[in-house]
Amino acid sequence: MFSLTLRKIVLRKLFLPSVFIILVYGFWVSPEFQEISAGVSILMFGMLAMEEGFRMFTGGVLEKLLRKTTDKLWKSISFGVVSTTIMQSSAAVSVISISFLSAGLITLVAGVGIVFGANLGTTTGAWLVAGLGLKVKISVYAMPMLVFGLVLVLQKAKGLKGSGFILAGLGGMFLGIHFMKEGFDSFKAAFDLTAYAVDGYPGILLFALIGVVATVVMQSSHATLVLILTALSAQQITYENALGLAIGANIGTTVTAIIGSLTANVDGRRLAGAHLIFNAVTAAVAIGFIYQLTGIVDVISGWMGIANDNYAMKLAVFHSIFNGLGIVLMLPMINPMVRFLQRVIKPRVRTVAEPRYLNSSTIDLPDTTIEAVRMETLRLYDNASEIIAEGLSLNLLDILSDRPLDELVARARRPASLDIDERYDLNVKELYGKIVEFISNAQSNMSPRQENDLFALRAAGRDIVEAIKDTKHLQKNLSVYLASENEVIRREYDNIRVNLANALRQLDVVRKQDDESSVSLSLDSIKIGMKQHDRDLNARLSTLIRDHLITAPMSISLMNDSGYAYHVTKNLVKMGDVLFSSSESQLREAERSVSLDEGELEELLQETQTPNPGRNDETQ
Amino acid sequence: MKLSKLIEKTKSLLDPKERKNKAQKKNLKHVIKKLRKQEKALIKSLDGESSKEKSALIQDQVNLAHAQRKKGLKVLKSLKKS
Repeated sequence: MFSLTLRKIVLRKLFLPSVFIILVYGFWVSPEFQEISAGVSILMFGMLAMEEGFRMFTGGVLEKLLRKTTDKLWKSISFGVVSTTIMQSSAAVSVISISFLSAGLITLVAGVGIVFGANLGTTTGAWLVAGLGLKVKISVYAMPMLVFGLVLVLQKAKGLKGSGFILAGLGGMFLGIHFMKEGFDSFKAAFDLTAYAVDGYPGILLFALIGVVATVVMQSSHATLVLILTALSAQQITYENALGLAIGANIGTTVTAIIGSLTANVDGRRLAGAHLIFNAVTAAVAIGFIYQLTGIVDVISGWMGIANDNYAMKLAVFHSIFNGLGIVLMLPMINPMVRFLQRVIKPRVRTVAEPRYLNSSTIDLPDTTIEAVRMETLRLYDNASEIIAEGLSLNLLDILSDRPLDELVARARRPASLDIDERYDLNVKELYGKIVEFISNAQSNMSPRQENDLFALRAAGRDIVEAIKDTKHLQKNLSVYLASENEVIRREYDNIRVNLANALRQLDVVRKQDDESSVSLSLDSIKIGMKQHDRDLNARLSTLIRDHLITAPMSISLMNDSGYAYHVTKNLVKMGDVLFSSSESQLREAERSVSLDEGELEELLQETQTPNPGRNDETQ
Repeated sequence: MKLSKLIEKTKSLLDPKERKNKAQKKNLKHVIKKLRKQEKALIKSLDGESSKEKSALIQDQVNLAHAQRKKGLKVLKSLKKS
């Protein structure tokens, strides 16, 4: 909170006005500077449009890919390289990785791998600009791209709209490069910036610092790199100083990730830390061995047939080498670095009611948001199942163990001292409130399918709350009859406890089961067990009253409480259907379509089963 | 491949309804296959079970898996018709 406020103060009160003053002064003094700045703005506008296009176009593909490609480190690195090459923004990929990490979808090591890969992927931008952008008159392609792009943006179909944004974005980037090139060319006639060149290490350090500042201001190392390349091709900066700027841009880009991590959880902040360490170490090595590296660049450029005075291409070679070198150096250090970050950046002490996965950094990624809400609702269920277990005078860990439930229940005769209302207020109500609030804020840029998923999760939370409320009603009589001298009523209440504990145990099995097991089969099995118990009790009840084994008030309590237990199980099964089902929406739908409805379950019960009072024991 | 067949295939590829129907059928087949596997595994475990109580519970699960599979086949049939 404090860091956010500080950020706002710095941005609004000092930073932005200073940037505006510098820009206005620059525009007043030099029309060429204005042209270069316009070029940078159009380039960045193009990058934003491209990002928007990819977001619309992928519709969760990026998230699905990310989920599948993070089980091995080399896959994470490859993902970072490829996605940054396509999106042409390492910062965007880093921020997405931070969001994923915050939502608990990937591990910190996988996130670090992606960030490493993104650093290598960003070098492709330098190759494209130096190899193509500065040689060919790309503004010729920019105009039709912008026009066709805009026509497509105006279409309703999501795919066409997304393509339009990407095309217009590319056009914007090309046009931006053109303006920057033109600006530097005219600048050269009026003013020679190379007069301010600084030789040797002081120059490298000074320009690295300028590179950091420029990237922090523009929030894009790609834009800085294009600026360096265009200035270099117009011979407005020296090759040596350009190297310093490129190194600085690599450090500056981590600022975007750090800002993105401010609202993320502890792992998100650790990833931003890893990004900073990687880029800072790489930059330090590059500065320390700058002359050796330029020697290697000369050799490689010679092999590739790059002319000795083609400094833009040589800068692209340098950029790739120093980022590649960073990966080679830091790869063996990933695990020690992760351990170091875990030691230095510690999680805040949280209460159980505090959300762990909900944070605004995921809000731009709808499928990640849904996953974060699902994870948080699972936590809500964990908190609730503890309350339900204690409400039955049992311990949740015992229930989830493989010990026979009837033995556990027979031993636990002490009425629960737990105040369900108090525990509900402390551990459930607050967390559920935060989930509901987060869902309300998140649903604005979602597709109807995604909105439905969110509504289903909200309803699952409500089912959990209902289950607690029914447990509270049940607890009242349970406490009385738990140690009753009447053995029959005690046994009946034990049956209720065994049944509910069994439902909790089975739900835990469903939660942990692999993709090869059918969720709908397991949930329907719990429903059948619940119906069977209700039916058996009703069948026994008349006999128990008739034979004076229980009193009439006892029978009423038993009927009511059996009803409450029935509803607890029913609500938990409904919740399980949402929380434990496949994350693939179509597969989930297919599973649901084979699930039996109430009538079909009744029919199956009548067809196949006879009353069996002993069937309450665990079924797994 | 004949031209008419090729046109038919392209049409089904471009038609979103057709694509959705195809995906639904594919997923449903996957679920039915999964249920059949589980049903077979349950029947196998039934053979080695000596406890009457547990046998009854496994039998219930076999019946349930069978009923779900039957329902799935019914839905698949209707999808194929549409």
